[in-house]
Amino acid sequence: MVAWLYCDYNVPQEQTVINIMGAILRHVAGRDIPDDIRKAFREGRRPLLADLKRMLRIAIHSLPQVFICIDALDECLPKDLPGLLGSLSDIVRESPSTRVFLTGRPHVSEVVQRYFAKAVAIPVSPNPDDIRSYVVMRLDRDDVPEAMDNGLRAEIVKIILDKMSNM
Amino acid sequence: MAQATHTYTVTFGDGNTNSGNIKDSFNTNIYNSDEDAKIMRWLSPLEPENRHHTVRTDRFEGVGNWLLETTEFQEWRGGEGGADKAGLFCFGDPGVGKTHLR
Repeated sequence: MVAWLYCDYNVPQEQTVINIMGAILRHVAGRDIPDDIRKAFREGRRPLLADLKRMLRIAIHSLPQVFICIDALDECLPKDLPGLLGSLSDIVRESPSTRVFLTGRPHVSEVVQRYFAKAVAIPVSPNPDDIRSYVVMRLDRDDVPEAMDNGLRAEIVKIILDKMSNM
Repeated sequence: MAQATHTYTVTFGDGNTNSGNIKDSFNTNIYNSDEDAKIMRWLSPLEPENRHHTVRTDRFEGVGNWLLETTEFQEWRGGEGGADKAGLFCFGDPGVGKTHLR
């Protein structure tokens, strides 16, 4: 089971720790809503973070392995990050087979490290082979093919790759 | 934090043109009942499915495969090390392709 969430700087107010954990729980719980979630809803309580964590723990335990992926941690409000990472870290401690995949700009490394001290950090930067194959694909789809020849094609690829290596 | 030394992958287009997580488009048809749909909305107003669809559609096949081949990823994926090794953090500047890793 893979649960994912893309943080989005356009909606920082909606991206509270409770809403993010709720979205992850919804994903993990799937269409068969666990009874305790239904019960809490029928009682009309707003979900508390502690409730969501408990429900998530129960849902995770019923599955062989759960991957939680959160993209763009830097697009969360800085005030929400400790709560979010702390909650994920609690989940992992209680369900050690859970894997957490995170992405973000370099400046969030410090807070990630605070909650996942032994996490592996992998730097990501543009790959020339990926760029080349993408540019070639786009040139093949060019809507004015008669304006293209092999010389021009090679020049375009070269210039783009040169510019990229200077980034 | 252990740091690996891999430097590949790419995003195509502006990785920050987010389509948004929120659209309030919960389709009651896909849930067992109206109540189920309401519970889903109650759990969170965020709808990561929308963004996920956009990312999957825009993604160019093969991009980010380098990550899957790294020892670091495979060890993490395999669940070795329990809670201590539960986290994998891919970091980079805007537009380098973090969102489109697979």
